[in-house]
Formats: sequence, structure tokens, C-alpha cells
Amino acid sequence: MPDTELHGPLSGIRIVDLSQGVPGGYCTRLLAGFGADVIKVEPPGSGDPLRRHGPFADVDNPRESGALHLYLNAGKRSITLDTSTATGRDLLEGLLKDAAALIDDRDPGVLEAEGFDTSTFSLTFPHLVVTHLSAFGQAGPYSSVPSTNLTSLAMGGQMAPTGDPDREPLKNGGYQADYQLGLNGMTATLAGIWAADRDGSGDEIDVAAMECMASTLELALNQYCYTQVDMWSGRRGNVLSSAIGLYPCQDGYIGIHAMPRNFPALARLMDAEWMVESEEFGTSAARLQHEDELSAMIYAWVGEQKKKEAYEKAGKIRAPLAYVHEIPDLLDSPQMQARDHFQHVDHPVAGEHVYPGAPWQMKGTPWQASRAPLLGEHTNEVLATLGLSSQDIAVLRGGGVI
Amino acid sequence: MAGKGPKLPLQGLRIIDLTAVWAGPYATRLLGDMGAEVIKIESPNNPDLLRALSLLPPGTEKAYNKAAYFNHNNRNKLGLTLDLGSDAGKAAFFRLVAKSDVVIENYRAEVMDNLGLTFDRLKQAKEDIILISMPGHGKDGPEKDFVAYGTNVEQLAGLVSVSGYIDGPPQKSGISYGDPVAGTAAAGAVIMALIARKRTGKGQYIEMAQREVLTAQIGEYVVGYSINGEVPQRLGNRHPFYAPHGCYPAAGEDRWVTIACRDDAEFATLCESMGDPDLAHDPRFREAHLRHANQDALDEIIADWTRDRDAQEIFSQLSEAGVPAGPVLNHVDLYHDRHLRERGFFQSVEHRDAGNWDMDGPAYHFAHRPTSIRMNAPAFGEHNEYILRDIIGMNDAEIAELYQNHITSDEPNMAAHQ
Repeated sequence: MPDTELHGPLSGIRIVDLSQGVPGGYCTRLLAGFGADVIKVEPPGSGDPLRRHGPFADVDNPRESGALHLYLNAGKRSITLDTSTATGRDLLEGLLKDAAALIDDRDPGVLEAEGFDTSTFSLTFPHLVVTHLSAFGQAGPYSSVPSTNLTSLAMGGQMAPTGDPDREPLKNGGYQADYQLGLNGMTATLAGIWAADRDGSGDEIDVAAMECMASTLELALNQYCYTQVDMWSGRRGNVLSSAIGLYPCQDGYIGIHAMPRNFPALARLMDAEWMVESEEFGTSAARLQHEDELSAMIYAWVGEQKKKEAYEKAGKIRAPLAYVHEIPDLLDSPQMQARDHFQHVDHPVAGEHVYPGAPWQMKGTPWQASRAPLLGEHTNEVLATLGLSSQDIAVLRGGGVI
Repeated sequence: MAGKGPKLPLQGLRIIDLTAVWAGPYATRLLGDMGAEVIKIESPNNPDLLRALSLLPPGTEKAYNKAAYFNHNNRNKLGLTLDLGSDAGKAAFFRLVAKSDVVIENYRAEVMDNLGLTFDRLKQAKEDIILISMPGHGKDGPEKDFVAYGTNVEQLAGLVSVSGYIDGPPQKSGISYGDPVAGTAAAGAVIMALIARKRTGKGQYIEMAQREVLTAQIGEYVVGYSINGEVPQRLGNRHPFYAPHGCYPAAGEDRWVTIACRDDAEFATLCESMGDPDLAHDPRFREAHLRHANQDALDEIIADWTRDRDAQEIFSQLSEAGVPAGPVLNHVDLYHDRHLRERGFFQSVEHRDAGNWDMDGPAYHFAHRPTSIRMNAPAFGEHNEYILRDIIGMNDAEIAELYQNHITSDEPNMAAHQ
């Protein structure tokens, strides 16, 4: 009989993570939050490079208290292991025997350079799914090109349409190329685990940020593929059309996204219901012809609004309007509070802080709120499961392997 | 649809897709790419909006089957048209649910309940069904009925507040960024629920608020604010502590190249590549924190070097030297990109009504279970017969009745999108 209660949908599924960046970090953060036993393998000494990013909750102990690390490594177990040594390699292989997946976002070729022969993985670890996350993929002309979130975003096509027409293309905030790669890596890995369980054999998955982003350029690439006519180059700033855009209001910024069927609600919100019956604004085609006038009216109207009041009022009559939530607005949001979205999580070094909660709610198998591990916090307990005695572990520690 | 050779990762799973436009269809595009049998249901009177966005000349015959935006996002799916507002439509739907693993929907929060298609009702048709809803704000809370379209989601999620030029306003992403993010997450959430079902024997309900999925992608700002209480500043293309980190003009019209140095060694290599190795020892730039403090001056020096050079040549030169650099590629560049072409990312397709073209293929590469574009996006109602007869088991009379009452159809009524 199957176990009918799980703490998370993935509880008991072991994931070994060799990643050292945001992509792998986010991929396994999601898996851990939904119950997987993620073992994060960190280089002895400095640990995961994500630990170097501030702000730091404890400036005297930055390694354990940086925001990016606290967020992305939450829910994982940390072991330190020098995987470039023969002993480190052996221990890692020991961990892989019980693992469903190995996640690696380091540059293509690093795993092989450390002495792993991934072509024999399917013999040694028949059930294992190996997921490689990279900017350009494991093969092809750019595969060995160095990259960061910025250069990856630029080459995935999402930067070209972002920003003002008369300025340089713009990245959006944070590490969005990396996060997208991590999210796609999660989805691909789960499919791999599903198939490995079904067929009794694992797989090796190659996920490239460039391809994930090129797949998601709204209709620009699709249309060009089909017609070979370029209709979408350039940047359109914050205003896409007369009734789709981002406009300054009295205390912030308001976004309007009016589809034809929402235009009447928008007109009502603006106390301008006459527009719906008017010759100039009554139909989509007419609005297109009078775009400048409509745009000017929206700018003027939004300019007089306060963001939260306008949002409340719009919501009640289902007008297509939202305001730009700053971080404090997120925490104060009546919606987020009613849904209990943000979670307070304690940490032995960083103290108690606020974290985003479940990215989605799986009603039968809930998300786990948990903290990031200290560097090497679980080395002893994890190596003990491989049959190492405390004496063996002490020797490894003395040799710098762990 | 089972061919010879290895099984696809999700082969053998049947997914009913009630979604339209982008976020939901992107989820099922990923699931279909990986081998699930996706059955997309459209109403005869309310076809997917993307069918109306063909951008083809007015009067084009069957333009609704030729829209590239629709055809790219709905490949590897079967198409059924069914009016779920009618009793007969619902009855057919529940018969299909009984033979399916997953139902996915991205209606407004209250629509499924109003149609009587609650999770409990679906469970009566199939005990271990998995249902996923992906409304903008979630299914409960004071804002659940607020409208949240494409560009609104990233505003609600907090992302837009941290995007923008330094000293400029918050800036929208160039695409409706919340959509593909929610779609990718939804595909993963579905597989998670399938993995859990295999172990517990139970299906479940998944509720995905699109704004919450995207807030998860700026989580470090939330934790950072909790640590220092400072509202994050917009950084343009810059990085909190690496420098240089920017987007620089290149030769040609609207051509740009990004360059990012993560440490002193990469900066020294950049200086050498620019023919000015001494710059690495300039007191303004010799360490990361100095470069960060003096970025305006540094960016000017780099821009002077890039301005008259070809972005691709800068990319080749710096990449070879070991400095992260990348030209800003647009969709036309991507279509012709030698790397994507060599990886076989684009696959040629031949569509009954729309003709031949090259389409971007599956983004995930499984070494032992290779994915591909196995079939085109469905023409409107293309698989009505197959689904109603072969899967549900309806007879000729039953099917004829559905057509007669306009509960199913082979021709969309496009009036809703005019």
C-alpha cells in the first residue's frame, strides 16, 4: 500500500546539488520547499558563492547571513566536499547511489574536469537524472563562452525589447535570466524523475537559458519565424499602446492593461463613461486612431490618483489596473496578508526574517518553511549514512577534503 | 501517438487543457513537448484569443488556424471544441475527465466554480484527478476578483519596482513576463503532483497565484528588506557589487553589447583586450569596490571602446579571452543565430492550413528520451472526432447532436475577439 500522507510532494526524494549559482540554487530551493531532501555540496572553506551576496544580517558572520544565500539555500542540507579530489569523488558517488537527481549549474565540462565520467553514469547510477543548467547548453558554438545573468539575459532576447526607445536596452531587476533557468531546470528535472521512476532508467538533461528565454518572447519570434517580416524590433518604454502601460501617479506608479472587453470598466473608473459610446473611443479600431488623445487622457487621470486608492476602486469594478508594489507594499498587501503568504523564519546566525512563502499551493502536500543551513552543518550526519565513522570524518577534515 | 523508440518523459499521461492566451498554454506546451497527450478545449463561441492575433491581412482564409502566436504555443496538443456552459458539453467533459490525469485552467478566479467544475465535482468523475488553477491573485483573499493581465502581474509581484534605469521610473519588462514564468512553474507543479499521486494514490488541487510565483523570483529583495529595512534602489544594468556591469553601444543601428566582470582578473583581461592593460592598475579601478564607486567614468571608457566596434566581434574577442560578454540579441538575431541553429533548436513544420516554416523547438533536451515537435497546433476542432469517438466512446448520433446544438464545432465564432 502506498504511503498516503506526505509532508511534501517530494518528501524522501534525494537531490544532490553541485551548483554554485542562482540557477541551481533556485531550482533546488523549489524542490526542497516541496519536500525533497536536497544535499548541497559546497566547496570547503568559502562555501557556495551565493554566500557572498549582501545585505548581511550579521556583518561579523557574512558567510552565514547574506540575503541571497538565506533565501535560495533554505530547506537544504549542506555538506562541504572537495569534489576535485579522488576521495571527494568517491564520497559524492556514494551519495549519488540513493539520489534521484544530480543538479549542476557550473560551466559545461567542469564535472568531467573533476574526473567524473558522465557517460558511464547510466551504468553506475541507472536511475539517476543528471540535469545541467547553463547559459548556452552543453554543446554548440557558445557552450564554453563565459556568462553571467546579464550577458545571458542579453542573448536570450528578453533585453532587446526592455527599456526606453532612446536609451540602452535594460535588464529587469535581480537575476531573472538565472531564475528562469532554475525554474525551467526544476520542471525538466521533475519530468526526468517521473520518467526514471516509470522506466527504471535515468536520463541526462541539458537546459540552456538562451533557449528557455528565446521560447518566451511573446509573439515577436513566433511571428518572425512564420512571416520573416520584422514587426517588433526596438523598445517601447513603459507604454505599449494607449491603454496598456505604466504611468506616474501622485505617490508611485500605476499600470493599466485594458483589453477590448475591459475598456468600458476603465472608462467608468475614469468617470468617462461617455467614451464607450463615442466615435473616437467606442471601438478598438477607433481607439487606435485616437491613440495620442486617449494616452494623454490616461496620463492626466493617473497623475491625479493615489496608487492604493485607485487600485481598490478599480478592483471593485474590475477595471484592469494595478500599481507598482514596492517591497514594503508587498508586505503590507491586504491580499498577501489574507493569504498568509510571507513567512517568518528563524536562523541561528541571521535571526528571524521575512521570506516569501509557497510559490504555489499544493493543497494535499504543503510547502515547508525552513531555514538555510550553516556551511557544512550536515557533513557529519550525511557522511555517517555512507558508513563513515567519526574517526574517518576527522581524517577527511584534517586533509581538507571536507 | 506512441511511436517506436524510447518513450518520451511524460508519455502515457493525458492532460485536459482549458487555458487560453499565454501563461496556461505555455504550461501545456512544455508538458506536450515532453510527451504528455494534451487535449486543448476551446469553446465554439470563445476560441483562444491568440487565434485572433494572426496579424495577417484582413480576409485571409482561416486566419484563425494560421496565427503564429497560437501555433507556436499550442504545438504538440490535440484540439477539441466544447461549450462547457451547456449540460451536454459538461457531460462530455466529465467523460473525458474520467480518462485523464490532470485538468489545468487559467480562467478568472470564480469561473470554474460558476460552471460547476469544482475540484470535488471533478473527483466524482475521476477519484485521483489533479486540478491546477492559475489565477492572477489566487482563489481567496480580498483581491481575488481583481483583474490582473499580462503586464500587471510583474507590477503586483514587486519585480517592476526593482527594474529601471538609475534615477528613472520603475520599468516594465519587454514581455508580459509573468506569463511564461507562471506557465513554466505550472508545468513543474503538475509533475510534482503526479509524483505525489504515484506514492499516495491521491490526486490534489493546486492553486497558483501568478503574482506569488513571480514574487518568488525576487525573494532576496524581500529577505534583504527584512534585514536592513531599506527599500531597494533601481540599478539599471548595474550589479550590487560587480563592475563593470553594463550595456554598451556598438557599431550599427540600435546595436548593443553587455559586458560583466566578476573579479579583478576578468577586469584585467578586459583591459588587455581593449588594448589598455594599464587601466587595470588605475587607482580608480584596481579593485572591485573602487570600480563600483567609479562606474560612471569606467563605463565611459568602455563605451568609447565599444562604440565603433561590431557587437559580435566584441563578443567573440572577449569570450575567447575569458570575459563574460554578450550582444543584445533580438528575435531576428535569434532566428538566424548560429549556435541555436547548430543545436537544432529550430525545426521545420508543415501545417495543414498555415504552410511550412521553422519553429522554435522544445527547450529541454533529454539525452535518452529525445523530444521534438511531433504534431502541429490543432486547427480549430481538428481532433473532435478522435477525442469524442475514440477516447470518450461516443457514437455517431451523440456526436452529431453535439454539432447540431453547436456544443462542438469545426468553425470558431470570432465575434468575441473583434
